[in-house]
Amino acid sequence: MVNIYMPRFDPAMETAKIIEWIKREGDLVRRGEPIAKVEGEKTIFEIESPIDGVITKIMYPENSEVKAGSIIAIVSEAGEVKPIVEAVEKTRVKATPIARRIAEEHGIDLSRVKGSGPNGRITKNDVIREIERVKVESTEAVLIRTGRARVLRRFNLSGLRKTISERLTYSHRTIPSASITVDVDFEDLIKLREMMEKSLKVDISLTAFIVKATAKALRSHIMLNSSIEGDEVTVYDSININVAIHTEEGLITPVIFNADNKSVEEISNEIKILTEKAERKQLTLEMLTGGTFTITNLGPYGVTTFTPLINPPQTAILGVGSVNHKLVAKDNDLDLKPITTLTLVFNHQVIDGVPAAKFLNEVKRNLENPLILILESKIAKQ
Amino acid sequence: MGDPMRTLTYAEAIREAIREEMKVNPKVFIAGEDIGVYGGAQKVTRGLYEEFGAERVIDTPISEVAIVGLGIGAALMGMKPIVEIMYMDFLPIALEQIINHAAKIYFMSGGELKVPLVIRTQYSLGRAHGAQHSQFFPSILLNIPGIIIALPSTPYDAYGLMKTAIRSENPVVYIECCILYHRVKDKIPDQEYMIQFGKADIKRIGNDVTIIAISRMVHEALEAAKILEEENISVEVIDPRTIQPLDIKTITESIKKTNRVVIASDDCVFGGIGAEIAASIQEHVFSYLDAEIVRVGAPNIPVPFSPQLEKMYMPSREDIIKAVKKVMYLE
Amino acid sequence: MSITEIHNTSLNEFKDLDKSKLIGMLKDMVRIRFFEERVEELFLVRGLLIGPAHLYFGQEAIAVGICSSLSRDDVVLSNHRGHGHAIAKGIPSKYVMAELFGKATGTCKGLGGSMHVCMYPKLGALYSSAIVGSNIPIAVGVGFALRNTGRIAVCFFGDGAVNTGAFHEGLNMASYLKVPVLFVCENNQYAISMKASIGVAARSIAERVSYGYNMPCYVVDGNDVLSVYKASLEASSKIRRGLGPIFLECRTYRLKGHGVYDKAEYRDKKEYNEWIERDPILLFKKKLLEANILSSREITVLEDEVKKEIDEAELFAQSSQVMEFNKLYSLVYG
Repeated sequence: MVNIYMPRFDPAMETAKIIEWIKREGDLVRRGEPIAKVEGEKTIFEIESPIDGVITKIMYPENSEVKAGSIIAIVSEAGEVKPIVEAVEKTRVKATPIARRIAEEHGIDLSRVKGSGPNGRITKNDVIREIERVKVESTEAVLIRTGRARVLRRFNLSGLRKTISERLTYSHRTIPSASITVDVDFEDLIKLREMMEKSLKVDISLTAFIVKATAKALRSHIMLNSSIEGDEVTVYDSININVAIHTEEGLITPVIFNADNKSVEEISNEIKILTEKAERKQLTLEMLTGGTFTITNLGPYGVTTFTPLINPPQTAILGVGSVNHKLVAKDNDLDLKPITTLTLVFNHQVIDGVPAAKFLNEVKRNLENPLILILESKIAKQ
Repeated sequence: MGDPMRTLTYAEAIREAIREEMKVNPKVFIAGEDIGVYGGAQKVTRGLYEEFGAERVIDTPISEVAIVGLGIGAALMGMKPIVEIMYMDFLPIALEQIINHAAKIYFMSGGELKVPLVIRTQYSLGRAHGAQHSQFFPSILLNIPGIIIALPSTPYDAYGLMKTAIRSENPVVYIECCILYHRVKDKIPDQEYMIQFGKADIKRIGNDVTIIAISRMVHEALEAAKILEEENISVEVIDPRTIQPLDIKTITESIKKTNRVVIASDDCVFGGIGAEIAASIQEHVFSYLDAEIVRVGAPNIPVPFSPQLEKMYMPSREDIIKAVKKVMYLE
Repeated sequence: MSITEIHNTSLNEFKDLDKSKLIGMLKDMVRIRFFEERVEELFLVRGLLIGPAHLYFGQEAIAVGICSSLSRDDVVLSNHRGHGHAIAKGIPSKYVMAELFGKATGTCKGLGGSMHVCMYPKLGALYSSAIVGSNIPIAVGVGFALRNTGRIAVCFFGDGAVNTGAFHEGLNMASYLKVPVLFVCENNQYAISMKASIGVAARSIAERVSYGYNMPCYVVDGNDVLSVYKASLEASSKIRRGLGPIFLECRTYRLKGHGVYDKAEYRDKKEYNEWIERDPILLFKKKLLEANILSSREITVLEDEVKKEIDEAELFAQSSQVMEFNKLYSLVYG
């Protein structure tokens, strides 16, 4: 059961007027369907139902001035309000006994069959025709899909792929996302990395640096380290970064927990271990859940820019492109610099453009001043 | 080569069955009004008086109660009487003897006494004999446990059923159809044969609709079938031959195939034998039905005398065709 | 056709008859009387029996007089008032009692009841009809089957039957076919409440039959067992000789109501008192005592024996089982 509140469009707004009830008590509603038209100071606004269900109670009649924040209607889940739903949905299908029997044997839904008998009665032949039609349709459907293309392989999405598919579809459909990009000069980072390799014999991946840089920035822009479910936003204290790893099966995103408290070396090792485990399909549920922010790096594959999809219920994702040498203007000089494009895609319900930009710029600053990443000092915390 | 056959009319087939049994069993005798010297009002028993004499072919006064009582008493003593009630319309006069005594003696005696009696009668619908000499109403007897009811439609069935009736140890009401007596001829085997009670005959095989037809309506149904064939409608015609006992198995097997059924008989639709058959059908094979069970029969009025009116009254092949099309949703 | 009157038959006419036959006749009459008394008690006092029961009080001389004259292979058809016929024909009273109790050991296996007890083919009790008059046409059929065998069929019915269509058709057919049937009309003066003298629109039953069906008739004192016996012997001998059916009108009186619950308040007390003086058992006892065929003490012994038999019959009936219901289905068609 969900309460529908009179929204406040304006901090100054005390009341709003219900201009029109689009739905009545007892009506079925689909999620997102408008229920009522209300008028604030300057705008007319349509209130939508947050769930599939039935309007079980309307609190105020049309033309009422209602205080913002008051409950104006109640929507109940279909299962809660059985009688009304049943009354609406129960219309007896008229079919002869043999028609019913054959329909049941072949899994035909009688409510979709048109009856040619008196008063729309469904006869045996009607059902037989439907069976034929379904057969033809599915054959046609197959033809439409494949045309005359030779099929190499056919499979149903399942398991991991299916989950990925569902989440991405959801993400794409429901999240009002926006993206901003920034170009980062990796020259100092590359130099530092090479130095560490040469003198300390440690191989730390670029991704690890990026994770650290992002984690640190998140600490100062914690709003981006959040998740949203419906209207409820959760801002996390732990900064757990999902690192996208590409395997044969598909994209998998194991978590680096408390990334801001780990050194780049630790992060780098963890990424290595997680990648191995991913390839050997040894990643457990614990390793995959609990992430609060995702980083996906297509750089190694030569992609310069791309717009990743947010990993719900997270509110932001950072896409990392390849390092490309570009001519950059600096102090009236043109230099060839190794440039990487970072793309931040964020959920506009939770995060506005300016805070997102501020965050992304801090990531850029962290990467362009890589010593911050290896020094756990007060300077870095500024 | 085949078995040797003889061609007999419906009436002759009945007579031959009786004659053959009277020859081999001295306990068989026939009794009724004008059946002896006169040869029978419809000439069915012609020649039997000459062959067997007054001791075994008894002409009686007009006394339906006594005729049936005579039959019951003689049967109780081990004889095999075949008594005739001239018109089915006269049967009610003797119904007390049939319902209270013939039907129940075996039961009431705890199985000690049997009534091996044959009561022959006929209905004259179609001969402009008026309301009191034309009616067909076998369903009255259907409601009385203890009686067997046979309704032959062809010479072949008439002979076989009469043979079985005479040899049966139970009281049999054998209902003949007058207009079939001399009009329907058929080849039947020379060699004697019997037809079991409770065994329906599929007179025509088909796929689209089952027609259950009784007595005269069997012929109407077969004619209707020929007409429907030209419209690519294939009907199966089943003749139950006895309605007590009723061969519900053959009927339901057919309906499982066709999913549609029409019942055709000469009695009034309301309260007629079709009512019991329809009720039984829906009890057994409801989920196989693609349409209502339609009954073809006479309207709920006494038989009008006027020949033109009687023709309109009588159920016909056109009525059957209409009914078939109704259950096929082809109106 | 002739009407012969037979009344006041003296024992002297049967000097040559074995005494045991006469004693047997008394015993049978007493047996019927005691049986009916017990049935009445079981209905009205002890409430152990339900259904109809048409008791034979006062008519014992007819059943016994007729049945004593028959041979074993003669066939009897009875009616709803058939306890007397059944016992007189020789059916053991325990089987009759068991039938009244609806037990499987009854004459009809419990399926017939009081109105059909006289059905025991082995002893010639062929059929009982509960429908007044309907046994008459059937008796004609039985007679038809018995032609030229020397055996006869006897059909019992009351004054109420003589007005039915079945009576008319049956008697006409019987005369027409000349069947060997003895028609015994027990004229106990009342159908149920309808006096025979009013309901029978003829000068008398015997005259109706004699003129109507050209059938020889006897008018017999139905309370004098010897008169009945005499008439029956004469008539059946004629019938056996192929002379055709004969009609006996036995005049008697129903000492109780029509059925066991009927108090017969429609009857005149004076009339009743006249008839009770003519109780057939009293009359016969008197004759036997006067002729020294039985002493008082012997009569008492006889009566005690019969009482014991009735007691045993009741015990037998009470301790018997009822037929299994499922067996009924197999008793519809033979």
